[in-house]
Amino acid sequence: MFEIRTRWGKTLLQVVATLLIIPYLFPLVVMVKGAFAGEGVHNFAAVLRVPGFGRFFVNSIIVSAAVIVLVYVVTMMAAFGFAKLHIRFREVYFWLLLACLTLPEVVLLAPLFATDTRLGLYDTYWAVILPLAALQVPFAVLLTRNFINSLPDELFEAARVDGANSYRGFVHLVIPLTRPIAAAVLIFTLVASWNDYLFPLVFLQSPELQTITLVPQFFVGEFSNDQTKILASAVITAIPEIVAYLSLQRLFERGLSAGAIK
Amino acid sequence: MTATTTRVRPERKAVVQGSGRMKKPPGLPWILPALVLSVGLIYYGIGYTGYISTLNWDGLSPGAEHVGAHNYTRIFHDPVFWDAVRHTLVFFVVTFVIQTILGLAFAVILHAKLRLAAIYKVIVFVPVVLAPAIMAPVFRHMFAPDGELNAVLRHVGLGGLAQPWIGQTSTALPVIMFITIWEWTGVTFVLYYAAMTQVDPSVLEAARMDGAGNMRTLVSIIWPDLRGTTVALAMLGAIGALKTFDVPYLVTIGGPNYATEFLGTYIYRMTIPLSHVGYGAALSIILLVVALIMALALQFAGRERKGR
Repeated sequence: MFEIRTRWGKTLLQVVATLLIIPYLFPLVVMVKGAFAGEGVHNFAAVLRVPGFGRFFVNSIIVSAAVIVLVYVVTMMAAFGFAKLHIRFREVYFWLLLACLTLPEVVLLAPLFATDTRLGLYDTYWAVILPLAALQVPFAVLLTRNFINSLPDELFEAARVDGANSYRGFVHLVIPLTRPIAAAVLIFTLVASWNDYLFPLVFLQSPELQTITLVPQFFVGEFSNDQTKILASAVITAIPEIVAYLSLQRLFERGLSAGAIK
Repeated sequence: MTATTTRVRPERKAVVQGSGRMKKPPGLPWILPALVLSVGLIYYGIGYTGYISTLNWDGLSPGAEHVGAHNYTRIFHDPVFWDAVRHTLVFFVVTFVIQTILGLAFAVILHAKLRLAAIYKVIVFVPVVLAPAIMAPVFRHMFAPDGELNAVLRHVGLGGLAQPWIGQTSTALPVIMFITIWEWTGVTFVLYYAAMTQVDPSVLEAARMDGAGNMRTLVSIIWPDLRGTTVALAMLGAIGALKTFDVPYLVTIGGPNYATEFLGTYIYRMTIPLSHVGYGAALSIILLVVALIMALALQFAGRERKGR
Protein backbone atom coordinates (compact mmCIF):
# COMPACT_ATOMS: atom_id res chain seq x y z
CA MET A 1 0.00 0.00 0.00
CA PHE A 2 2.76 2.40 0.91
CA GLU A 3 5.98 2.35 -1.00
CA ILE A 4 9.12 3.43 0.70
CA ARG A 5 11.84 3.32 -1.86
CA THR A 6 14.86 4.81 -0.18
CA ARG A 7 16.87 3.01 2.44
CA TRP A 8 16.84 6.21 4.44
CA GLY A 9 13.06 6.32 4.50
CA LYS A 10 12.89 2.71 5.62
CA THR A 11 15.30 3.26 8.49
CA LEU A 12 13.51 6.42 9.55
CA LEU A 13 10.14 4.63 9.62
CA GLN A 14 11.62 1.75 11.58
CA VAL A 15 12.95 4.18 14.18
CA VAL A 16 9.60 5.97 14.43
CA ALA A 17 7.79 2.66 14.83
CA THR A 18 10.15 1.58 17.59
CA LEU A 19 9.73 4.89 19.43
CA LEU A 20 5.95 4.60 19.21
CA ILE A 21 5.98 1.05 20.52
CA ILE A 22 8.01 1.83 23.67
CA PRO A 23 5.09 3.28 25.69
CA TYR A 24 3.10 0.12 24.90
CA LEU A 25 5.89 -2.17 25.97
CA PHE A 26 6.88 -0.22 29.08
CA PRO A 27 4.00 -1.23 31.43
CA LEU A 28 4.50 -4.88 30.49
CA VAL A 29 8.20 -4.60 31.30
CA VAL A 30 7.38 -2.87 34.59
CA MET A 31 5.00 -5.70 35.47
CA VAL A 32 7.49 -8.49 34.78
CA LYS A 33 10.46 -6.68 36.26
CA GLY A 34 8.55 -5.77 39.41
CA ALA A 35 7.34 -9.33 39.82
CA PHE A 36 10.93 -10.61 39.85
CA ALA A 37 12.25 -7.82 42.11
CA GLY A 38 13.39 -8.63 45.63
CA GLU A 39 13.02 -12.34 46.12
CA GLY A 40 12.90 -13.18 42.40
CA VAL A 41 11.15 -16.42 41.56
CA HIS A 42 10.18 -16.87 45.19
CA ASN A 43 7.58 -14.14 44.72
CA PHE A 44 5.73 -16.47 42.38
CA ALA A 45 6.12 -19.42 44.71
CA ALA A 46 4.74 -17.34 47.59
CA VAL A 47 1.73 -16.29 45.54
CA LEU A 48 1.03 -19.83 44.35
CA ARG A 49 1.25 -21.16 47.91
CA VAL A 50 -1.51 -18.86 49.14
CA PRO A 51 -4.46 -21.13 49.89
CA GLY A 52 -7.41 -20.43 47.64
CA PHE A 53 -5.42 -18.78 44.85
CA GLY A 54 -6.45 -21.47 42.37
CA ARG A 55 -10.07 -20.88 43.35
CA PHE A 56 -10.07 -17.50 41.55
CA PHE A 57 -9.21 -19.22 38.28
CA VAL A 58 -11.80 -21.95 38.76
CA ASN A 59 -14.43 -19.29 39.50
CA SER A 60 -13.51 -17.25 36.44
CA ILE A 61 -13.73 -20.36 34.30
CA ILE A 62 -17.14 -21.28 35.73
CA VAL A 63 -18.53 -17.78 35.26
CA SER A 64 -17.10 -17.30 31.75
CA ALA A 65 -18.19 -20.76 30.58
CA ALA A 66 -21.72 -20.24 31.86
CA VAL A 67 -21.95 -16.79 30.26
CA ILE A 68 -20.66 -18.14 26.94
CA VAL A 69 -23.09 -21.07 26.85
CA LEU A 70 -26.02 -18.85 27.80
CA VAL A 71 -25.12 -16.13 25.28
CA TYR A 72 -24.45 -18.64 22.51
CA VAL A 73 -27.71 -20.58 22.84
CA VAL A 74 -29.92 -17.55 23.31
CA THR A 75 -28.20 -15.56 20.55
CA MET A 76 -28.28 -18.26 17.90
CA MET A 77 -31.97 -18.90 18.50
CA ALA A 78 -32.89 -15.22 18.49
CA ALA A 79 -30.79 -14.38 15.43
CA PHE A 80 -32.43 -17.27 13.53
CA GLY A 81 -35.88 -16.09 14.59
CA PHE A 82 -35.21 -12.48 13.60
CA ALA A 83 -33.59 -13.34 10.28
CA LYS A 84 -35.63 -16.22 8.89
CA LEU A 85 -38.90 -16.69 10.76
CA HIS A 86 -42.16 -14.82 10.88
CA ILE A 87 -42.53 -12.42 13.79
CA ARG A 88 -45.14 -9.71 14.15
CA PHE A 89 -43.62 -6.35 15.14
CA ARG A 90 -40.22 -7.92 14.57
CA GLU A 91 -38.38 -4.59 14.36
CA VAL A 92 -39.95 -3.36 17.59
CA TYR A 93 -38.48 -6.29 19.47
CA PHE A 94 -35.18 -5.78 17.72
CA TRP A 95 -34.97 -2.12 18.69
CA LEU A 96 -35.86 -2.94 22.28
CA LEU A 97 -32.83 -5.20 22.25
CA LEU A 98 -30.55 -2.74 20.47
CA ALA A 99 -31.30 0.07 22.91
CA CYS A 100 -29.55 -2.06 25.54
CA LEU A 101 -26.24 -1.70 23.69
CA THR A 102 -25.43 1.64 25.27
CA LEU A 103 -26.20 0.59 28.84
CA PRO A 104 -23.37 1.21 31.34
CA GLU A 105 -23.34 -1.70 33.78
CA VAL A 106 -23.13 0.61 36.80
CA VAL A 107 -26.78 1.56 36.17
CA LEU A 108 -27.85 -1.96 37.14
CA LEU A 109 -26.06 -2.04 40.51
CA ALA A 110 -28.79 -0.78 42.82
CA PRO A 111 -31.77 -2.66 41.34
CA LEU A 112 -29.85 -5.93 40.97
CA PHE A 113 -28.45 -5.66 44.46
CA ALA A 114 -31.93 -5.16 45.93
CA THR A 115 -33.43 -7.95 43.81
CA ASP A 116 -30.60 -10.41 44.36
CA THR A 117 -30.79 -10.09 48.12
CA ARG A 118 -34.54 -10.64 48.00
CA LEU A 119 -34.28 -13.71 45.76
CA GLY A 120 -31.26 -15.16 47.56
CA LEU A 121 -29.08 -14.76 44.47
CA TYR A 122 -26.66 -12.36 46.13
CA ASP A 123 -23.21 -13.89 46.55
CA THR A 124 -23.88 -16.69 44.07
CA TYR A 125 -22.42 -17.17 40.57
CA TRP A 126 -25.82 -16.32 39.09
CA ALA A 127 -25.66 -12.76 40.39
CA VAL A 128 -22.73 -12.23 38.00
CA ILE A 129 -23.58 -14.63 35.18
CA LEU A 130 -27.08 -13.33 34.44
CA PRO A 131 -26.30 -9.59 34.08
CA LEU A 132 -23.07 -10.31 32.19
CA ALA A 133 -24.93 -12.49 29.69
CA ALA A 134 -27.80 -10.01 29.44
CA LEU A 135 -25.35 -7.24 28.47
CA GLN A 136 -23.58 -9.35 25.84
CA VAL A 137 -26.68 -10.71 24.08
CA PRO A 138 -27.89 -7.55 22.26
CA PHE A 139 -24.71 -7.06 20.30
CA ALA A 140 -24.24 -10.77 19.69
CA VAL A 141 -27.76 -10.93 18.23
CA LEU A 142 -27.14 -7.89 16.02
CA LEU A 143 -23.98 -9.42 14.61
CA THR A 144 -25.41 -12.90 14.14
CA ARG A 145 -28.68 -11.69 12.64
CA ASN A 146 -26.77 -9.77 9.98
CA PHE A 147 -24.81 -12.90 9.24
CA ILE A 148 -27.85 -15.18 8.96
CA ASN A 149 -29.64 -12.58 6.83
CA SER A 150 -26.94 -13.05 4.23
CA LEU A 151 -27.70 -16.78 3.97
CA PRO A 152 -30.16 -17.42 1.09
CA ASP A 153 -33.83 -17.89 2.03
CA GLU A 154 -34.09 -20.69 -0.52
CA LEU A 155 -31.89 -22.85 1.65
CA PHE A 156 -34.41 -22.73 4.48
CA GLU A 157 -37.38 -23.08 2.14
CA ALA A 158 -35.87 -26.15 0.54
CA ALA A 159 -35.40 -27.69 3.95
CA ARG A 160 -39.03 -26.92 4.75
CA VAL A 161 -40.20 -28.50 1.49
CA ASP A 162 -38.28 -31.60 2.51
CA GLY A 163 -40.34 -31.67 5.68
CA ALA A 164 -37.84 -30.22 8.13
CA ASN A 165 -39.39 -28.12 10.90
CA SER A 166 -37.78 -24.98 12.34
CA TYR A 167 -35.96 -27.00 14.95
CA ARG A 168 -34.25 -29.19 12.37
CA GLY A 169 -33.49 -26.19 10.21
CA PHE A 170 -31.83 -24.61 13.23
CA VAL A 171 -29.74 -27.65 14.12
CA HIS A 172 -28.74 -28.69 10.60
CA LEU A 173 -28.41 -25.30 8.88
CA VAL A 174 -28.02 -22.43 11.34
CA ILE A 175 -25.59 -24.05 13.77
CA PRO A 176 -23.06 -25.31 11.20
CA LEU A 177 -23.33 -22.29 8.87
CA THR A 178 -22.84 -19.65 11.57
CA ARG A 179 -19.52 -21.01 12.81
CA PRO A 180 -17.39 -18.03 11.66
CA ILE A 181 -19.59 -15.49 13.42
CA ALA A 182 -20.00 -17.75 16.45
CA ALA A 183 -16.23 -17.67 16.88
CA ALA A 184 -16.31 -13.87 17.08
CA VAL A 185 -19.21 -13.93 19.54
CA LEU A 186 -17.38 -16.49 21.64
CA ILE A 187 -14.20 -14.43 21.81
CA PHE A 188 -15.71 -11.11 22.78
CA THR A 189 -18.02 -12.78 25.27
CA LEU A 190 -15.08 -14.61 26.80
CA VAL A 191 -12.96 -11.47 27.14
CA ALA A 192 -15.87 -9.38 28.46
CA SER A 193 -16.81 -11.92 31.13
CA TRP A 194 -13.25 -12.90 32.05
CA ASN A 195 -12.16 -9.26 32.45
CA ASP A 196 -15.29 -7.91 34.13
CA TYR A 197 -14.62 -6.27 37.45
CA LEU A 198 -17.69 -4.37 38.64
CA PHE A 199 -20.22 -7.21 38.92
CA PRO A 200 -17.91 -9.58 40.83
CA LEU A 201 -16.83 -6.66 43.02
CA VAL A 202 -20.38 -5.88 44.07
CA PHE A 203 -22.15 -9.24 43.90
CA LEU A 204 -19.52 -11.76 45.05
CA GLN A 205 -18.77 -11.41 48.72
CA SER A 206 -17.19 -14.74 49.71
CA PRO A 207 -13.59 -15.23 48.61
CA GLU A 208 -14.47 -18.82 47.56
CA LEU A 209 -16.66 -17.39 44.78
CA GLN A 210 -14.57 -14.45 43.58
CA THR A 211 -13.08 -14.19 40.09
CA ILE A 212 -9.53 -13.36 38.99
CA THR A 213 -10.18 -9.64 38.53
CA LEU A 214 -10.48 -9.45 42.31
CA VAL A 215 -7.06 -11.05 42.81
CA PRO A 216 -5.06 -7.79 43.20
CA GLN A 217 -7.41 -6.64 45.94
CA PHE A 218 -7.15 -10.00 47.69
CA PHE A 219 -3.37 -9.84 47.62
CA VAL A 220 -3.22 -6.29 48.90
CA GLY A 221 -4.88 -7.76 51.97
CA GLU A 222 -2.73 -10.88 51.96
CA PHE A 223 0.68 -9.27 51.50
CA SER A 224 -0.20 -5.82 52.87
CA ASN A 225 2.17 -3.67 50.86
CA ASP A 226 4.61 -6.10 49.28
CA GLN A 227 4.37 -4.74 45.72
CA THR A 228 6.48 -7.52 44.25
CA LYS A 229 4.02 -10.23 45.32
CA ILE A 230 1.10 -8.23 43.99
CA LEU A 231 2.85 -7.80 40.66
CA ALA A 232 3.75 -11.50 40.60
CA SER A 233 0.06 -12.30 41.05
CA ALA A 234 -0.73 -9.90 38.19
CA VAL A 235 1.72 -11.73 35.95
CA ILE A 236 0.25 -15.12 36.86
CA THR A 237 -3.30 -13.95 36.16
CA ALA A 238 -2.26 -12.31 32.89
CA ILE A 239 -0.49 -15.40 31.53
CA PRO A 240 -3.61 -17.39 30.53
CA GLU A 241 -4.95 -14.37 28.64
CA ILE A 242 -1.70 -13.76 26.80
CA VAL A 243 -1.29 -17.44 25.94
CA ALA A 244 -4.89 -17.62 24.68
CA TYR A 245 -4.33 -14.52 22.54
CA LEU A 246 -1.01 -15.68 21.11
CA SER A 247 -2.35 -19.10 20.14
CA LEU A 248 -5.54 -17.69 18.56
CA GLN A 249 -4.21 -14.34 17.36
CA ARG A 250 -6.38 -13.94 14.26
CA LEU A 251 -9.51 -15.01 16.05
CA PHE A 252 -8.95 -12.60 18.91
CA GLU A 253 -8.17 -9.67 16.65
CA ARG A 254 -11.21 -10.33 14.49
CA GLY A 255 -13.52 -11.16 17.37
CA LEU A 256 -12.60 -8.18 19.51
CA SER A 257 -12.70 -5.78 16.59
CA ALA A 258 -16.12 -7.10 15.60
CA GLY A 259 -17.10 -6.65 19.23
CA ALA A 260 -15.82 -3.10 19.16
CA ILE A 261 -18.17 -1.77 16.50
CA LYS A 262 -21.13 -1.52 18.78
CA MET B 1 -30.06 -7.47 -24.48
CA THR B 2 -33.85 -7.28 -24.05
CA ALA B 3 -33.96 -11.02 -23.75
CA THR B 4 -31.66 -11.00 -20.76
CA THR B 5 -33.57 -8.28 -18.92
CA THR B 6 -36.91 -10.04 -19.40
CA ARG B 7 -35.28 -13.21 -18.27
CA VAL B 8 -33.80 -11.68 -15.15
CA ARG B 9 -36.90 -9.84 -13.94
CA PRO B 10 -39.30 -12.70 -13.29
CA GLU B 11 -36.60 -14.48 -11.36
CA ARG B 12 -36.08 -11.55 -9.02
CA LYS B 13 -39.81 -11.25 -8.55
CA ALA B 14 -40.02 -14.92 -7.74
CA VAL B 15 -37.47 -14.47 -5.00
CA VAL B 16 -39.35 -11.53 -3.50
CA GLN B 17 -42.62 -13.43 -3.65
CA GLY B 18 -40.91 -16.54 -2.44
CA SER B 19 -41.04 -15.46 1.15
CA GLY B 20 -44.72 -14.61 0.86
CA ARG B 21 -45.65 -17.64 -1.17
CA MET B 22 -44.32 -19.99 1.41
CA LYS B 23 -45.47 -18.88 4.82
CA LYS B 24 -42.61 -18.63 7.27
CA PRO B 25 -43.09 -20.53 10.52
CA PRO B 26 -43.61 -18.48 13.68
CA GLY B 27 -40.44 -17.09 15.24
CA LEU B 28 -41.59 -15.59 18.52
CA PRO B 29 -40.66 -18.65 20.63
CA TRP B 30 -37.17 -18.45 19.16
CA ILE B 31 -36.51 -14.88 20.22
CA LEU B 32 -38.24 -15.21 23.56
CA PRO B 33 -35.26 -16.49 25.63
CA ALA B 34 -33.11 -13.59 24.46
CA LEU B 35 -35.89 -11.11 25.17
CA VAL B 36 -36.50 -12.50 28.66
CA LEU B 37 -32.81 -12.53 29.52
CA SER B 38 -31.70 -9.22 28.04
CA VAL B 39 -34.71 -6.99 27.59
CA GLY B 40 -36.31 -8.44 30.70
CA LEU B 41 -33.35 -8.04 33.01
CA ILE B 42 -32.15 -4.72 31.63
CA TYR B 43 -35.50 -2.92 31.35
CA TYR B 44 -36.49 -4.26 34.73
CA GLY B 45 -33.24 -2.84 36.08
CA ILE B 46 -33.78 0.52 34.41
CA GLY B 47 -37.39 0.73 35.56
CA TYR B 48 -36.39 -0.15 39.11
CA THR B 49 -33.56 2.41 39.00
CA GLY B 50 -36.05 4.99 37.81
CA TYR B 51 -38.27 4.22 40.79
CA ILE B 52 -35.37 4.25 43.29
CA SER B 53 -34.30 7.61 41.88
CA THR B 54 -37.40 9.19 43.41
CA LEU B 55 -36.53 7.90 46.89
CA ASN B 56 -34.33 9.00 49.71
CA TRP B 57 -33.05 5.51 50.49
CA ASP B 58 -29.94 3.89 51.95
CA GLY B 59 -30.57 0.61 50.13
CA LEU B 60 -31.41 -1.45 53.22
CA SER B 61 -33.90 0.14 55.59
CA PRO B 62 -37.56 -0.52 54.71
CA GLY B 63 -38.88 2.99 55.24
CA ALA B 64 -37.73 4.80 52.10
CA GLU B 65 -38.99 8.33 51.81
CA HIS B 66 -40.52 9.50 48.52
CA VAL B 67 -38.90 12.72 47.46
CA GLY B 68 -40.12 13.10 43.87
CA ALA B 69 -37.65 14.86 41.60
CA HIS B 70 -35.60 16.18 44.51
CA ASN B 71 -32.57 13.97 43.72
CA TYR B 72 -32.51 15.32 40.18
CA THR B 73 -32.64 18.97 41.20
CA ARG B 74 -29.84 18.28 43.66
CA ILE B 75 -27.68 16.80 40.90
CA PHE B 76 -27.77 20.01 38.91
CA HIS B 77 -26.27 21.87 41.85
CA ASP B 78 -23.71 19.20 42.60
CA PRO B 79 -20.20 20.42 41.65
CA VAL B 80 -18.79 16.87 41.65
CA PHE B 81 -21.38 15.82 39.06
CA TRP B 82 -20.33 18.64 36.76
CA ASP B 83 -16.67 17.78 37.36
CA ALA B 84 -17.43 14.20 36.32
CA VAL B 85 -19.19 15.42 33.18
CA ARG B 86 -16.25 17.65 32.32
CA HIS B 87 -13.75 14.84 32.91
CA THR B 88 -15.77 12.50 30.71
CA LEU B 89 -15.81 15.05 27.88
CA VAL B 90 -12.11 15.88 28.08
CA PHE B 91 -11.31 12.20 28.46
CA PHE B 92 -13.33 11.28 25.36
CA VAL B 93 -11.88 13.99 23.12
CA VAL B 94 -8.26 13.40 24.14
CA THR B 95 -8.32 9.59 24.10
CA PHE B 96 -10.26 9.48 20.84
CA VAL B 97 -7.95 11.88 19.00
CA ILE B 98 -4.71 10.29 20.23
CA GLN B 99 -5.97 6.76 19.70
CA THR B 100 -7.05 7.60 16.18
CA ILE B 101 -3.67 9.10 15.33
CA LEU B 102 -1.72 6.22 16.88
CA GLY B 103 -3.99 3.51 15.49
CA LEU B 104 -3.70 5.03 12.06
CA ALA B 105 0.08 5.34 12.40
CA PHE B 106 0.46 1.69 13.37
CA ALA B 107 -1.86 0.59 10.55
CA VAL B 108 0.17 2.59 8.02
CA ILE B 109 3.46 1.32 9.43
CA LEU B 110 2.31 -2.28 9.20
CA HIS B 111 1.08 -1.82 5.65
CA ALA B 112 4.51 -0.49 4.75
CA LYS B 113 5.95 -3.92 5.55
CA LEU B 114 8.54 -3.05 8.14
CA ARG B 115 10.76 -5.50 9.94
CA LEU B 116 9.43 -6.93 13.23
CA ALA B 117 5.92 -5.93 12.17
CA ALA B 118 4.38 -9.06 13.71
CA ILE B 119 5.97 -8.27 17.07
CA TYR B 120 4.78 -4.65 17.00
CA LYS B 121 1.29 -5.88 16.35
CA VAL B 122 1.33 -8.28 19.30
CA ILE B 123 2.66 -5.60 21.66
CA VAL B 124 -0.05 -3.13 20.69
CA PHE B 125 -2.82 -5.72 20.87
CA VAL B 126 -1.93 -7.55 24.10
CA PRO B 127 -3.33 -4.70 26.30
CA VAL B 128 -6.77 -5.19 24.69
CA VAL B 129 -6.86 -8.72 26.07
CA LEU B 130 -5.58 -7.95 29.58
CA ALA B 131 -8.11 -7.07 32.27
CA PRO B 132 -7.80 -3.43 33.43
CA ALA B 133 -8.36 -4.68 36.97
CA ILE B 134 -5.29 -6.91 36.68
CA MET B 135 -3.16 -4.12 35.23
CA ALA B 136 -4.23 -1.49 37.77
CA PRO B 137 -1.58 -2.41 40.39
CA VAL B 138 1.05 -2.35 37.66
CA PHE B 139 0.13 1.22 36.75
CA ARG B 140 -0.04 2.28 40.39
CA HIS B 141 3.48 0.94 40.73
CA MET B 142 4.69 2.52 37.50
CA PHE B 143 3.35 6.01 38.26
CA ALA B 144 4.24 6.00 41.97
CA PRO B 145 6.61 8.74 43.24
CA ASP B 146 9.40 6.14 43.57
CA GLY B 147 8.05 4.19 40.60
CA GLU B 148 9.53 3.07 37.32
CA LEU B 149 8.53 6.10 35.27
CA ASN B 150 10.30 8.54 37.57
CA ALA B 151 13.29 6.18 37.73
CA VAL B 152 13.58 6.23 33.94
CA LEU B 153 13.21 10.02 33.84
CA ARG B 154 16.02 10.44 36.39
CA HIS B 155 18.13 7.92 34.54
CA VAL B 156 17.97 9.84 31.25
CA GLY B 157 18.70 13.15 32.99
CA LEU B 158 15.10 14.41 33.07
CA GLY B 159 14.83 14.09 36.84
CA GLY B 160 13.24 17.54 36.94
CA LEU B 161 10.15 16.04 35.30
CA ALA B 162 9.75 13.37 37.97
CA GLN B 163 6.58 13.94 39.99
CA PRO B 164 3.86 12.17 41.97
CA TRP B 165 1.80 11.39 38.87
CA ILE B 166 -1.18 9.80 40.60
CA GLY B 167 -1.10 11.95 43.71
CA GLN B 168 -1.61 15.40 42.18
CA THR B 169 -4.71 16.76 40.50
CA SER B 170 -2.89 18.11 37.43
CA THR B 171 -1.50 14.75 36.28
CA ALA B 172 -4.04 12.21 37.62
CA LEU B 173 -6.51 12.57 34.73
CA PRO B 174 -3.76 12.38 32.07
CA VAL B 175 -2.56 9.15 33.74
CA ILE B 176 -6.07 7.67 33.42
CA MET B 177 -6.14 8.76 29.77
CA PHE B 178 -2.74 7.24 29.11
CA ILE B 179 -3.88 3.89 30.51
CA THR B 180 -7.04 3.94 28.42
CA ILE B 181 -5.14 4.77 25.25
CA TRP B 182 -2.64 2.03 26.07
CA GLU B 183 -5.52 -0.39 26.45
CA TRP B 184 -7.54 0.41 23.35
CA THR B 185 -5.14 1.43 20.57
CA GLY B 186 -4.99 -2.24 19.53
CA VAL B 187 -8.64 -2.21 18.48
CA THR B 188 -8.35 1.11 16.62
CA PHE B 189 -5.28 -0.19 14.86
CA VAL B 190 -6.74 -3.57 13.84
CA LEU B 191 -9.90 -1.92 12.52
CA TYR B 192 -7.99 0.68 10.50
CA TYR B 193 -5.62 -1.98 9.25
CA ALA B 194 -8.54 -4.09 8.01
CA ALA B 195 -10.33 -1.09 6.48
CA MET B 196 -7.17 -0.08 4.60
CA THR B 197 -7.01 -3.42 2.84
CA GLN B 198 -10.44 -2.56 1.39
CA VAL B 199 -9.16 0.57 -0.36
CA ASP B 200 -9.37 0.08 -4.12
CA PRO B 201 -5.81 -0.61 -5.35
CA SER B 202 -6.52 0.82 -8.82
CA VAL B 203 -7.39 4.18 -7.25
CA LEU B 204 -4.13 4.13 -5.33
CA GLU B 205 -2.27 3.22 -8.50
CA ALA B 206 -3.91 6.09 -10.39
CA ALA B 207 -3.00 8.53 -7.64
CA ARG B 208 0.56 7.35 -7.70
CA MET B 209 0.69 7.76 -11.50
CA ASP B 210 -0.46 11.33 -11.00
CA GLY B 211 2.57 11.83 -8.77
CA ALA B 212 0.89 11.69 -5.34
CA GLY B 213 3.33 10.80 -2.58
CA ASN B 214 2.62 8.55 0.40
CA MET B 215 1.42 11.41 2.60
CA ARG B 216 -0.84 12.78 -0.10
CA THR B 217 -2.34 9.35 -0.77
CA LEU B 218 -3.00 8.88 2.94
CA VAL B 219 -4.70 12.24 3.42
CA SER B 220 -6.68 12.48 0.18
CA ILE B 221 -7.60 8.89 -0.60
CA ILE B 222 -7.23 6.55 2.34
CA TRP B 223 -8.45 8.77 5.19
CA PRO B 224 -11.78 9.65 3.51
CA ASP B 225 -12.26 5.95 2.76
CA LEU B 226 -11.91 5.12 6.45
CA ARG B 227 -14.76 7.40 7.50
CA GLY B 228 -17.13 4.55 8.38
CA THR B 229 -14.54 3.02 10.69
CA THR B 230 -13.79 6.38 12.29
CA VAL B 231 -17.47 7.03 13.03
CA ALA B 232 -17.83 3.56 14.55
CA LEU B 233 -14.74 4.17 16.70
CA ALA B 234 -16.07 7.55 17.81
CA MET B 235 -19.27 5.84 18.93
CA LEU B 236 -17.32 3.17 20.77
CA GLY B 237 -15.11 5.79 22.42
CA ALA B 238 -18.02 7.98 23.49
CA ILE B 239 -19.92 5.11 25.07
CA GLY B 240 -16.70 3.75 26.55
CA ALA B 241 -16.04 7.16 28.14
CA LEU B 242 -19.49 7.13 29.72
CA LYS B 243 -18.93 3.60 31.01
CA THR B 244 -15.44 4.31 32.42
CA PHE B 245 -15.10 2.75 35.84
CA ASP B 246 -12.36 0.15 36.39
CA VAL B 247 -9.29 2.29 35.69
CA PRO B 248 -10.12 5.46 37.68
CA TYR B 249 -11.63 3.41 40.50
CA LEU B 250 -8.61 1.14 40.87
CA VAL B 251 -5.74 3.46 39.98
CA THR B 252 -6.74 6.81 41.48
CA ILE B 253 -9.99 6.01 43.37
CA GLY B 254 -11.55 8.99 41.61
CA GLY B 255 -9.11 11.31 43.30
CA PRO B 256 -7.15 13.18 44.33
CA ASN B 257 -9.84 15.67 45.31
CA TYR B 258 -12.28 14.26 42.67
CA ALA B 259 -9.79 15.03 39.87
CA THR B 260 -10.52 11.68 38.19
CA GLU B 261 -14.16 11.28 39.18
CA PHE B 262 -16.25 9.91 36.30
CA LEU B 263 -19.98 9.30 36.18
CA GLY B 264 -19.38 5.55 36.66
CA THR B 265 -17.12 5.98 39.71
CA TYR B 266 -19.39 8.66 41.18
CA ILE B 267 -22.48 6.46 40.87
CA TYR B 268 -20.58 3.60 42.48
CA ARG B 269 -19.32 5.83 45.29
CA MET B 270 -22.82 7.14 45.98
CA THR B 271 -24.57 3.78 45.74
CA ILE B 272 -22.24 1.36 47.53
CA PRO B 273 -19.81 3.00 49.98
CA LEU B 274 -21.95 6.06 50.81
CA SER B 275 -25.34 4.27 50.58
CA HIS B 276 -27.07 7.24 48.94
CA VAL B 277 -28.85 4.75 46.72
CA GLY B 278 -31.61 7.12 45.63
CA TYR B 279 -29.14 9.77 44.56
CA GLY B 280 -26.99 7.19 42.77
CA ALA B 281 -30.06 5.95 40.91
CA ALA B 282 -30.91 9.47 39.76
CA LEU B 283 -27.33 9.85 38.52
CA SER B 284 -27.71 6.51 36.72
CA ILE B 285 -30.84 7.65 34.91
CA ILE B 286 -29.08 10.82 33.76
CA LEU B 287 -26.10 8.77 32.58
CA LEU B 288 -28.43 6.48 30.66
CA VAL B 289 -30.23 9.36 28.95
CA VAL B 290 -26.92 10.96 27.96
CA ALA B 291 -25.65 7.62 26.58
CA LEU B 292 -28.79 7.10 24.51
CA ILE B 293 -28.78 10.64 23.13
CA MET B 294 -25.11 10.33 22.23
CA ALA B 295 -25.60 6.97 20.51
CA LEU B 296 -28.52 8.31 18.48
CA ALA B 297 -26.63 11.50 17.58
CA LEU B 298 -23.57 9.58 16.41
CA GLN B 299 -25.71 7.07 14.53
CA PHE B 300 -27.38 10.00 12.82
CA ALA B 301 -24.06 11.70 12.05
CA GLY B 302 -22.79 8.45 10.55
CA ARG B 303 -25.83 8.13 8.29
CA GLU B 304 -25.60 11.76 7.13
CA ARG B 305 -22.04 11.22 6.04
CA LYS B 306 -22.84 8.03 4.20
CA GLY B 307 -25.73 9.75 2.41
CA ARG B 308 -23.50 12.43 0.97
